[in-house]
Amino acid sequence: MVKKTIEDIKNTLKNVDVSETSYVERGYHLAIEAQKENVAAIAEFFDKKGFYLADLCCVDYVDYLELVYFFNNHRELCRVKVAFKVEPEKPAAPTISHIYTIAHWYEREIHEFFGVYFEGHPHLVYLFLHDGIDCYPLRRNKVPVTEDDKKLLNSFKPEEYEDGFFVNLGPQHPSTHGVLRVVVDMDGEYIMSAEPVLGYLHRMHEKMAENRSYLQFLPNPPRMDYLGALNFNLGHVTAVEKLCNIEVPERAQYIRTITAELNRISSHLLWVGAFVADLGGLTPFLYTFDDRENILDILEGITGSRLTYCYFRFGGLYNDVDDTFIDATKQFIKRLRGRFGMYEQLVTKNVIFINRVKGIGVLEPGRTPKYGCSGPVIRSTGIPFDIRKVEPYAAYDKVGFDIPVGTSGDNMDRYMIRIREMEISLNIIEEAVAKLPSGPFKAEKVPKKLKPPKGDVYHTIESPRGELGVYIVSDESDTPYRMRWRVPSYSNLMTFPYIAKGTLIADAIATLGSYDLVIPEIDR
Amino acid sequence: MGKGGFYLETKAPIIKFAIAEKFLNLARANSIWPMTFGLACCAIEMMAAAMARFDIARFGAEVFRPSPRQADLMIVNGTVTKKMAPTVVTLFEQMPSPKWVIAMGNCAISGGPFAFEGQYNIIEGIDKLIPVDVYIPGCPPRPEALLEGLMKLEEKITGTRRFPIPEKKW
Repeated sequence: MVKKTIEDIKNTLKNVDVSETSYVERGYHLAIEAQKENVAAIAEFFDKKGFYLADLCCVDYVDYLELVYFFNNHRELCRVKVAFKVEPEKPAAPTISHIYTIAHWYEREIHEFFGVYFEGHPHLVYLFLHDGIDCYPLRRNKVPVTEDDKKLLNSFKPEEYEDGFFVNLGPQHPSTHGVLRVVVDMDGEYIMSAEPVLGYLHRMHEKMAENRSYLQFLPNPPRMDYLGALNFNLGHVTAVEKLCNIEVPERAQYIRTITAELNRISSHLLWVGAFVADLGGLTPFLYTFDDRENILDILEGITGSRLTYCYFRFGGLYNDVDDTFIDATKQFIKRLRGRFGMYEQLVTKNVIFINRVKGIGVLEPGRTPKYGCSGPVIRSTGIPFDIRKVEPYAAYDKVGFDIPVGTSGDNMDRYMIRIREMEISLNIIEEAVAKLPSGPFKAEKVPKKLKPPKGDVYHTIESPRGELGVYIVSDESDTPYRMRWRVPSYSNLMTFPYIAKGTLIADAIATLGSYDLVIPEIDR
Repeated sequence: MGKGGFYLETKAPIIKFAIAEKFLNLARANSIWPMTFGLACCAIEMMAAAMARFDIARFGAEVFRPSPRQADLMIVNGTVTKKMAPTVVTLFEQMPSPKWVIAMGNCAISGGPFAFEGQYNIIEGIDKLIPVDVYIPGCPPRPEALLEGLMKLEEKITGTRRFPIPEKKW
């Protein structure tokens, strides 16, 4: 795939500087040095080849700003980094939002955090930040917000739309799972357009990463995604390990797999309860929380906390697991397997539930590259894209598992996939526990003050919600020069305006629930 | 928002009857209706407190109301950003008096782990905007801590503590 892509690029795009990089060291196969003039042509090329836009971010090198695009293919792994430089004074870049829909949001984000103006963007208003902001927060030097940008601060002005009938879904609304706000333009019960407004829980994680050392940043990722805390912890830790070339002992890899899968089950369990509660059935919530508490007990025994675990360390773990953990895990597997029948009786076979979700919120597989969605949302459309399989990390390459896929991409498929995933996670845990090797649980000689070599690394893992990407730029100091988080819910939520258009508001609530949104993760 | 402070004050009743007030407070303390209002991580622990194992219903506070107009307790559970702050204040204003506020978790108390030099987006402590009755530290606090906070609030309302043994005051 990589060789073929290089050939295609050389044949189709003239005058493009493409080079192969070490995938093991960097996390991407190809690096392309683009120019401001040809970046749109490059994006068009990748769009035609079926690539999706995994991430679009900006790095401030003081002398110049660098825009970094990450492309990847859902069918075959081929990660491509496209970078080009823009000048720091009045930075401007061409938009690719007409090619990739998800670029709409990424470009708005870069515009408000770095002040890069995207020429041709149809709706370049603030997405995250509050109205009182006076500088571009992620710029290295303090750059005040220009007068032109101050006009863009209010992302929603109701007086402009006097003819429409608007409903503000959120920021305080029980079905938005936190503080998401969706501005819905209604015609009776039908949705004409839906526009999510983000940033009600923007907690400056990316800014904090630049202020503290790699070790000090450890407690932050679990607070981004509090339901899949261990997975985010794992993403951060493995990315830094890749950057610093730290070898992790096998026992630690297995324990990482077991605990991350336990965390995935607890996240999915909460989702099942919350999703059915969104549709009006509060009873399953009580049952799923009952099961979830068992996982929390097991994880609390080894990590010490109930929710925001910070268990993985660079080169291993915080502490070793004991027999109590193994026994409790085995017991839990037995228990949860017995409960699936009950969930099927209670929820899956419920006629009201089926009518509320079947055939609702359909996402076609052809649309997915435009949005770059991942996780259960993309698997529901029938594309078996799972980072655990395509780019194995921890001990996922040593255990066997299959990927559940849906057929129609509706809410029912997303529900069924998560239920199946829980069963598969139980199998993974069982196999990993049986194979658990003895030995050290952390690497020796990991320095307390990490000073990684100069360079960048892109690392992805599969969080309960989808593809989590961590992009770290190091400048040989003990703090990251830039740490960028590509979060799954962000690109999944981008499909909501498309799916919700023309549906009933009650169905849109069901669709919104089926994404399994975690708002601090979207807002970072 | 009000002109003087950050929030609109609701006036206390002009006439009060001491004995009736005592009785009413007892009723209020034993049936606190919290608002369904989740901000961040702590909201999950609040949900856990409402569910089977911790069962907040034992203290009569299980009636979570999505509308502020039907609630008398606001549990601020999570980071309050500058974008969210006007909403929180509006929600507080919309609650009928008497009303109480619990600041749950370090973020709501002081900004917690997200308060650092040069931060641009969070309110460092919800008590800068609205009056807080009970503070529950932790990141996030355990559900037991929330239950303890609830009992502290009851103590504040009635003047006696429910658990372990109530002090004899009536």
